[in-house]
Amino acid sequence: MFSDAYDKLLWLLLALAVAAIVLLLVVGGGPGGGKQAGLGKAVEREMAYRARVELIGKLYGPVETLRRSGNNSAALLKLDELIRKYPGEAHGYILQGEILREMGTADEALASFVQGVKLNGDYLDANSPLSRRDEIQRLVDEDAKSIGARAAANPDNRTAAAALQRVNYLKSRLAGGCE
Amino acid sequence: MLRDKHFWIVVGTGLLLGGCGVLLAVLGNPQNSGICVSCFIENSAGALGFHDNQRMQYLRPELIGFVLGSAASAGLFGEFRSRGGSAPLPRLFAGIFLIVGCSVFIGCPIKLFLRLTAGDLTAVAGVAGLVAGVWAGVRSLASGVELGPKPITGRGGGYLMPAFFLLLLAFLFVRPGFIIFSSQGSAAQHAPLLIALGAGIVLGACAQRSRFCITGSIRDTFLMGLRTPAVWGLAAFVLTAGAASGAAGRFNLGLYGQPGAHLDFLWSFLGMGLVGWLSVLIGGCPFRQLIKAGEGDADAGLVVVGMFIGGALAQSWGLAATAAGVPLAGKVAVLAGFLFLLAGSLLARERSA
Repeated sequence: MFSDAYDKLLWLLLALAVAAIVLLLVVGGGPGGGKQAGLGKAVEREMAYRARVELIGKLYGPVETLRRSGNNSAALLKLDELIRKYPGEAHGYILQGEILREMGTADEALASFVQGVKLNGDYLDANSPLSRRDEIQRLVDEDAKSIGARAAANPDNRTAAAALQRVNYLKSRLAGGCE
Repeated sequence: MLRDKHFWIVVGTGLLLGGCGVLLAVLGNPQNSGICVSCFIENSAGALGFHDNQRMQYLRPELIGFVLGSAASAGLFGEFRSRGGSAPLPRLFAGIFLIVGCSVFIGCPIKLFLRLTAGDLTAVAGVAGLVAGVWAGVRSLASGVELGPKPITGRGGGYLMPAFFLLLLAFLFVRPGFIIFSSQGSAAQHAPLLIALGAGIVLGACAQRSRFCITGSIRDTFLMGLRTPAVWGLAAFVLTAGAASGAAGRFNLGLYGQPGAHLDFLWSFLGMGLVGWLSVLIGGCPFRQLIKAGEGDADAGLVVVGMFIGGALAQSWGLAATAAGVPLAGKVAVLAGFLFLLAGSLLARERSA
């Protein structure tokens, strides 16, 4: 590999290129240099996420107010309007699920939670500020047995079968794994 | 066979793979994904900015360890040979479709057995698919399907893949800004970096010495029965993974509530069938391709590049299955994979006069 002048020239240029890269990284890496882009990307992502959380707070604030005042029917009506306006936003479905569960309609609550989780997995992340993992886990734990028994007793009942399917779906999502 | 050193190296690799597969999940990797080449490739492709699923971006140290461990072992034992040049484009596309098949099943052949040994009965369809695919691949080879001439030796292309993974190792420690790490989702779940890297290096080195490969073990069993050491390596892997899952309290027998699983059994069968068939034609499962790339095989290196492209497409185009099931795009992609495989087999077949 050092047989002639051309080989030597290539090795020399190679060494120069390596030295230039090292020099650039050392000198150009100054305060924050190399990491600047990364910090920017991380901050950008965090800002977008925070903005979303804040927007959600504003958009769904009236629903929360109605809920707190015990006016669940009006809250559901308002949610219906918001879900139609923002069909890709999961938060509406999650709130709808919570309200329906408070009102004792487990099957409909399940359907709403499933819809919300399908749209955004953050609601199952224990560390997310939007997390509803505990509520969903409770719902699955409490309803799995009764819905399972109902589906087994009425094998032709499509509503019970669909509810069981939803419970199984939430169980799978709660179990985690690579998605 | 018991006096054969190679037999014990293969069995040892199987034991280590099963043990690490469960241990890494206990230490923080997603459940049943202690080792999953396809998930790791999708995560790493995301970390490099190839896709924007914020829940699937992490430069998995195990993946880097597999290649560098294999390169180190091959170098140390004088087995590093830079070689390549056989059917480059078909291999690139095979790499893409390998990940398509895996992402529709949700896991590579290693994860398939990790899922099964953790009690996930949905994986049975995948096992059936993989075995059927390997059988079809063996039949294809017997019928004269050959991707290309034997690779040329002596070129420098074989150094590129170890060098690329060395660069990824540097990225892992330096963490330049353009490398993205998820803060939520399954990519945010990971074992401690040094342990994951160490496990990857040891496994890479052992797999290089033993030539262990999941699909290769099944293929050899079809060809040689129980006389092949590979089948005992696979048995050691399955038994260790099962025992470790039980010991770690992670054995949960059933169809429902399994981590990273769905109930579309037909598509699990077809996805793994595609992976098995392709793996036989290109000489190894996704894990084996990484190991071969580490020991200087530029053809395997090109499959690895294809796998990265596949990992990016699986997420960007929404091909990957989730607990919700297999999306339409994923089903179409698997069928496209079979089209590629069948048409390629027709074109690449050497027919006797």
